[in-house]
Amino acid sequence: MHKKWKFMISKVLQMIFTLWAIATILFFLFRLMPGNPLAAYIDPTFTKEQQEILLQQFGLDKPLWQQYFIYFGNLLQGELGNSFFFKEPVIKIIWNVLPNTIYLMLSSLIIAYVIGTLGGVILAWKRGTKTETVGIVLTLFTRSAPQFWVGMVVLAIFSFKLNWFPSAGASPAGIVYDSEIEKLLSPQFYKHLLLPSLTLAVYLLGLPLLLMRSNMMDVMNEAYVDMARMRGLKEWRIMLKYAARNAALPVITAMAVGIGYAIGGNVVIETVFSWPGLGRLLVDAVTSSDYPLAQGAFILIAAVMVFMNLVADLLYSLLDPRVSVRR
Amino acid sequence: MTKWRLMSLSAIVVLLASILTGCFGGAKKESSNSDDPAANSDIDDPARVIRTIEILTRPQSSAPDEYETANIIAEAMRQLGLSVELKVSPWEQLSDIVWYQRDQWDMTGWQMAARPERLDPDEFTYNLFHSANAEDGYNFVGYQNKELDSIIEKQRVTLDKDERQKLIFEAQKIVAQDVPYFFNVHPTLNYVYNNEVFEEQSIVDMAGLGIKNFWTFINAEPKGSQKDFILNSSDTIQAVNPLYISGSVDSWITELIWDRLMRVGEDGLPKPWAAEKVEWLSDTEVKITLRPGMKWHDGKPVTPEDVKFSFEAPMSGEVPMYKPFVEIIKNIEIVDDKTLIFTLNAPWAAFETASLAKINIIPKHIWEPIINDLKNKPENAESYQEKVPVGSGPFKFANWKMSEEIVLEANKEHFAAPKVDRWIARIIPNMEAALGMIQNGEINFLATYTGDAQLLKQKVDASPNLAMVSSVDIGFRFFAPNLRRAPFDDVAFRRAIASAIDRDMLVAVVWKGFAVPGDSVISPALEFWKNPQLDYPSGGIEEAKRILKDAGYQWDKNGRLLYPEGKTEQLGK
Repeated sequence: MHKKWKFMISKVLQMIFTLWAIATILFFLFRLMPGNPLAAYIDPTFTKEQQEILLQQFGLDKPLWQQYFIYFGNLLQGELGNSFFFKEPVIKIIWNVLPNTIYLMLSSLIIAYVIGTLGGVILAWKRGTKTETVGIVLTLFTRSAPQFWVGMVVLAIFSFKLNWFPSAGASPAGIVYDSEIEKLLSPQFYKHLLLPSLTLAVYLLGLPLLLMRSNMMDVMNEAYVDMARMRGLKEWRIMLKYAARNAALPVITAMAVGIGYAIGGNVVIETVFSWPGLGRLLVDAVTSSDYPLAQGAFILIAAVMVFMNLVADLLYSLLDPRVSVRR
Repeated sequence: MTKWRLMSLSAIVVLLASILTGCFGGAKKESSNSDDPAANSDIDDPARVIRTIEILTRPQSSAPDEYETANIIAEAMRQLGLSVELKVSPWEQLSDIVWYQRDQWDMTGWQMAARPERLDPDEFTYNLFHSANAEDGYNFVGYQNKELDSIIEKQRVTLDKDERQKLIFEAQKIVAQDVPYFFNVHPTLNYVYNNEVFEEQSIVDMAGLGIKNFWTFINAEPKGSQKDFILNSSDTIQAVNPLYISGSVDSWITELIWDRLMRVGEDGLPKPWAAEKVEWLSDTEVKITLRPGMKWHDGKPVTPEDVKFSFEAPMSGEVPMYKPFVEIIKNIEIVDDKTLIFTLNAPWAAFETASLAKINIIPKHIWEPIINDLKNKPENAESYQEKVPVGSGPFKFANWKMSEEIVLEANKEHFAAPKVDRWIARIIPNMEAALGMIQNGEINFLATYTGDAQLLKQKVDASPNLAMVSSVDIGFRFFAPNLRRAPFDDVAFRRAIASAIDRDMLVAVVWKGFAVPGDSVISPALEFWKNPQLDYPSGGIEEAKRILKDAGYQWDKNGRLLYPEGKTEQLGK
């Protein structure tokens, strides 16, 4: 027990260290950029007097080590500055679109990982048969098909041809929800969510499927599986109850890491389906040189990734006690 | 085994054939014409060779017409013996270079967008070509012509319309001769609406702006159960702020939430709006009678104090974008509870369009404390975003989901209350999806479409519920030479390049017929102001070479264009 706690605490400390390292690198990155390093903090459309005042306010005329402390102080208080483009606090802008991003991300990951895991089990089970060949080809196809192409095809068929689903946005035109809960309970919201999350899920399921399949093939050779067979248990029971459980461990941790990747990287899906998320916001911020917003989004994505890595570590150690006890 | 041998043999044959075709095939070079001044030269003078010209353009994916035009222009220039390269850059970076590094670029694509204020010729002539604006204003090409300056200044204060027309005609003539811009086209604005949702007669076509305009928004009459006006925008809404000119979709919204004293009417001329009467007492004094009964969206009445405040706020230093439009006002006097008298420093012919129809009337009780507070801070009013913007206009702010949509509700108490219930702008970055949405009814007005206009027309023709209206834009597309950098400082060189650009081909190839060739900053859509007889160079490559030869340019033995004798390339390769 004592060893397990030690393991967990050391992982948490590692995460804090990584976050600190990332923040420090960001600090230097923006100051080592070519051109005027202040362009990252002072809106270039301000007049000279305004820029002078802002310089002092942000402490940009102080020595570097002092700036570093101010920077960290601000960061820890959640003060990320004001967006150059929207002129509003970065925190507020990100907070506006973050829920939408999370809904899309979670729904597509859950669908992808459920289907992928089951698919992996089936393919491993049916090893050597035609089912496996077809399955592998299909999986490779979904993984390599460009997301925007799949998205456009999905839109063309299900939205414009069949008119089953709306084609843009997270809610119908003109709807005002009193609260986030009301939005989550409304069936209209899910109609808007379905196509983008399915399209994203199609792309994502390749990883858990192939990972699961290869883990299953390892596990199926283990002694306890032979033992279960000899005991006369039904094949599907063996696959699901015995083999899959053990093969699933790496997939669970892959999902945790997948969350980290998915939080800011879905700009293609967001553009095709006009989904108001963080990916589009970040890309727009970068192309319009909106440094505070880009930096804020970047920090958020890095933090989520690092945190989810920690979750993956801890989860794995809970599911497989050998990991935390081994030195 | 034989099967493999056969396959590899055929592969090798195909490979060899492709290599040979690549080496020796391709278009045959035209045989030299003995009349061609570029042919049969034996000059070898590397110092006079004109450097590689760099043309800035936006990428193909975001601005396909500009990119294609850049390629066509580059090719035309190459036929004159110039070495030309394209430098592709996203809008933000491109405008940064052109605007803030004014002596670093050779040539760039650019465009002037249609705005109601630009229906008066003053904005395009003064802002674009007066030498006062060359250092940090809209005259980014650096055009300096004293004769034109004085004509521009004169037309500003000429209140007699016919006299002013003569001056504007003269200004256009000078510009066509001097070629500070390589004009391309005036595109047609193609907008589509759902004629099963809206009465056809209620859609207003405004000269130079098309049917996407303020009058359509308030006049559109719903026929059936759909009572909302739903349109698309591809850009995010940056701000909803009456003191900030932040983007095209933002300006559609500002026009609806806030009133102005005058508005540019369907015919392109200013007419009274929030002002019931606008009477000129002299060249520099105008009496404004405010319309009675106007109320802010928070219920308080609109007063002359609000009007005075709205025109004085841009002079406070916190509203930089609107300052040029009120600088000419010397004094605003409140005569009684519905009358004001504006006194100007000097007469200004465009005052009604450029100032009275441009300044938003804002509530003093809301903005005065905000502006006073901003005076102690480095930010200005552009950074302030009201949580619920309050105006007195025909639509009220209802809801804004950033990156997704904005919803405005009809203000039924307004003197020109809209016939629709709500005005909703959905942010749709996917252009193809927007096309699908107008077809299946998710939007009922296609306000933004940068795709193929021909395809759009086909879709509209195939749909019984869609109608498309095309109108010539008052805006225009052009390529701008940097007059500060040789050889663009030589008018003969510019005339030659202009001649080499085939504008009819641009209309046919780049715009598929959905444009008209341009030769002036004034569009043919402005019939009164457009000079129909301009001597803009248009003779083609032959004419271009003749112009260059007459100006002393020569070609070396490799066909490269050389500066006239005595002049060498100073600006590096």
